[in-house]
Amino acid sequence: MPKVAIDGLCVDAAAGSTILNAAEQAGISIPHFCFHPAFSPEGSCRLCLVEVEGSPKLELACATVVREGMKVVTASAQVREARRGVLEFLLAEHPLDCPICDKAGECRLQDYYHAYGLTEGVFDETKERREKKVRIGEKLLLDRERCVLCTRCVRFLTDVTKTGELAVVQRGVRSEVATYDGERVRTPYAGNLVDLCPTGAITDTEFRFKTRPWFLERRESVCPLCGRGCNIFVDSHPGVPRVPGSANVYRIRPRFNADVNGHWICDYGRYEYLRALRPATRSRLMWRGESHGVEMSWDKATALVTAKLRAVLETKGPERVAVVLTSFLTNEEFYLIRRIFEISQGVRRVFFADPQPGTADAFLLTAERAPNRKGAELLGFEPRPVVLGKLEESTDFIFIFGTFLADLYSSQEVSRIFDKVQTKVLVATNPEALAFRADFVLPAVPTAGKDGSFVNADGRIQKFSAAVRPSGDARPEWAILLDLARALRPDEEFFGGFRGVPDIFERMTAEYPVFGALR
Amino acid sequence: MMADLILTRGLKSEPSVRLSAYLERGGYQALRTALTQWTPEKVIDEVKTASLRGRGGAGFPAGLKWSFVPRTTDKPKYLCVNADEGEPGTFKDRFLMTHDPHLLIEGAVIAAYAVGIHAGYIYIRGEYEAVARRLDEAIAEAYAHGVLGKNILGRGFDFDLWVHRGAGAYICGEETAMLESLEGKRGVPRLKPPFPASVGLFGCPTVINNVETLACVPMIIRKGAAWFLENGRPKDGGTRLFSLSGAVQKPGVYELPAGTKLREIIFVHAGGLKPGAALKAVIPGGLSAPVLRADEIDVPMDVDALAAAGSMLGSSAVIVIDAATPMLSVLEKVAKFYEHESCGQCTPCRIGTSWIRRVVKRMIEHRGKAADLDLVLRLATNIKGRTLCPFGDAAALPILSIVRKFRTELEASLHSAGEKSFDA
Repeated sequence: MPKVAIDGLCVDAAAGSTILNAAEQAGISIPHFCFHPAFSPEGSCRLCLVEVEGSPKLELACATVVREGMKVVTASAQVREARRGVLEFLLAEHPLDCPICDKAGECRLQDYYHAYGLTEGVFDETKERREKKVRIGEKLLLDRERCVLCTRCVRFLTDVTKTGELAVVQRGVRSEVATYDGERVRTPYAGNLVDLCPTGAITDTEFRFKTRPWFLERRESVCPLCGRGCNIFVDSHPGVPRVPGSANVYRIRPRFNADVNGHWICDYGRYEYLRALRPATRSRLMWRGESHGVEMSWDKATALVTAKLRAVLETKGPERVAVVLTSFLTNEEFYLIRRIFEISQGVRRVFFADPQPGTADAFLLTAERAPNRKGAELLGFEPRPVVLGKLEESTDFIFIFGTFLADLYSSQEVSRIFDKVQTKVLVATNPEALAFRADFVLPAVPTAGKDGSFVNADGRIQKFSAAVRPSGDARPEWAILLDLARALRPDEEFFGGFRGVPDIFERMTAEYPVFGALR
Repeated sequence: MMADLILTRGLKSEPSVRLSAYLERGGYQALRTALTQWTPEKVIDEVKTASLRGRGGAGFPAGLKWSFVPRTTDKPKYLCVNADEGEPGTFKDRFLMTHDPHLLIEGAVIAAYAVGIHAGYIYIRGEYEAVARRLDEAIAEAYAHGVLGKNILGRGFDFDLWVHRGAGAYICGEETAMLESLEGKRGVPRLKPPFPASVGLFGCPTVINNVETLACVPMIIRKGAAWFLENGRPKDGGTRLFSLSGAVQKPGVYELPAGTKLREIIFVHAGGLKPGAALKAVIPGGLSAPVLRADEIDVPMDVDALAAAGSMLGSSAVIVIDAATPMLSVLEKVAKFYEHESCGQCTPCRIGTSWIRRVVKRMIEHRGKAADLDLVLRLATNIKGRTLCPFGDAAALPILSIVRKFRTELEASLHSAGEKSFDA
């Protein structure tokens, strides 16, 4: 552990760490464009130059490994002058179209120039004109005037995806990032280029001109679209009064987790989950019963569903009840289901309807396209796929979570079977696919809307909190289930004490200690 | 003192480039001596003692460079001969390769033997097409004669040598950009460390030497380090090939001991200035070297003396500028060259050289402003010492020196240019 002094602060740096790492450890930030922790140092932006005692020239903070006793100064007049010089150069060739740039507000060039630049504007020459709208990928646009040539994008495709679609071509001031003739960035991880780009050079057509970054709230969550459980940020707009639709999720971005997804997420997660989080219609409680058109409330719905369920349980027995689950449920929800249906009521007919497995891509995306199959298994569920025919026989009440039945069976088949079942309760986030056959539709929030935990494909438990507000009537499944449990057995104290997901988790862990032992 | 000729001694009487002529001049004797009588360590020691410094521009001691390469490694090691010779004003390596290709080959094989290398590339600038052909012919002769290839001179040492032509980028004369280019990539410099001696071509330990540097090696082996030192300076042994160009009577390549006075080179060897011309300035070491005024030429041409004089020996290319040449036009040539050749990888060089060039172009086109010279100084200062590779300094230093040393003239031309522009 070399001891180094950075701006007079003594730092016990890890062996082999760079000045930049050691400074960050000491809470001193050193500006940089080309350096990214996922790549080896490039040393080309020249913004991170710092003073090292005994060195005649300024040294690269990103590439210089600390030595015992090293003395570093990150804010001397010489360092500040060097930074100003680099930023002045970059701004001289920059289009300064910040008012219409998607990156404005979260742009490193803006932030650094404001913090370290602020030079007198003396550039009196004509700027190089470059292409401003080059389609380099399905959803990627490249603005070459905004590019600072940090080559993070190039290196991501060379070092991480190893697909190498981008390169720097031409030289000198005419250097530019380009694909090979007529080619496009085709890697299913292309969206990461937008996050990597320190300026507005690479923008995402899904986000472009839709909102301004400073309106967005950044919340942490976990992507539920495969067994990886990539850590994400869900960026949403809290909404402007009187502007319909302004409250919305605008983008999904990777959140660093060295053990799960590193700095990246796949495009499937990024764009498909975004779509899932932007429902076309507001979630509504629905009951297709005798009192059509009557205003529904959760209290009323819970009472009605409970009454129907109790009737079946008491008159016909638990063998006439079936439950169809999905691996999108959290551990806590699985636990409640296990308590309510299996332990408390003796319901044994539990099935799973999950998305069809896809192909694993040998990077992040797993073949499993649901987030919590492992969790279901740990709670003792056997995630056997639902067979519609088995529901047909002797079922009077069916509780369905999720709509993946519609992926497995045609609507005719579903209708045929469901016609024979007296009460169908659907709990789903986007219920349209099955809603037409359900008696009750209880709208649920997506993963991003609730607290909970998943166990990913590698057996890692990941807790998350609600990142977006519920839309319409939607509520988390755990809350729906708790209400149902309390209505079903008002005398039972077991469910009464749960105030939220942490309580359920604690109780679950006491019963299933494996959850406490997971990383 | 009239020194011995080391590099060009045989060429005055024996103009043939054939192997037979080279052998008659004693060619490949040094290789035989090294392979049969000397250990690799002894070769390195002798080259160190001879104070052979790199002739490419940086002047790094060659023996020391060789000793940085690990003796034992599980990777192959490579020798790269830097024959890119892109430094404006420099044409000495072309002279050597054209007139005595085997001298380079012999030096390369000895260097390879000293470091334990079995494969080498001569990276030659693309424009030297005829020279590359000549090298290929000489290499074929050398293979046939058993001084290249397997089991050289029956001593069990193998060394293969190829010629690789560059594609016209000045930056590929920078050693790590050359390695990138040799690997088939875009020629841009690498971040150092690691240095090529440990991580070089294809990630393997690599020695990179200039043509002239390697050409000195056979005579160091034949005549010894002491003799080599006698023909140079204590810390800068041997003779040097000076490329003389510009307003002199006899431009060309001159082999003279390191330390010969610049004045002597210009006025004695190169015959002085052209009739009627008066000396204004000299660029002593290729375009990257800071300019010297006419009153600064009593400087010995060795690495340390020129550094002390605020310039550099560089590639020993002496560009003589006469009084009739406007310094603004010199400045424009310099600015244009470095803007054109900047690889574009790092910010200060990419944008700085281009900005300076545009300002100078404006000055040439009579659109200069009073603040322009200070602006050029500031921009060059913001490049100097802050780039990824030595190119930034190579661009900034001559520009700084021209503006500082000829400021009065430049201001006058700015002023008169302004008047002209007003008249027009």
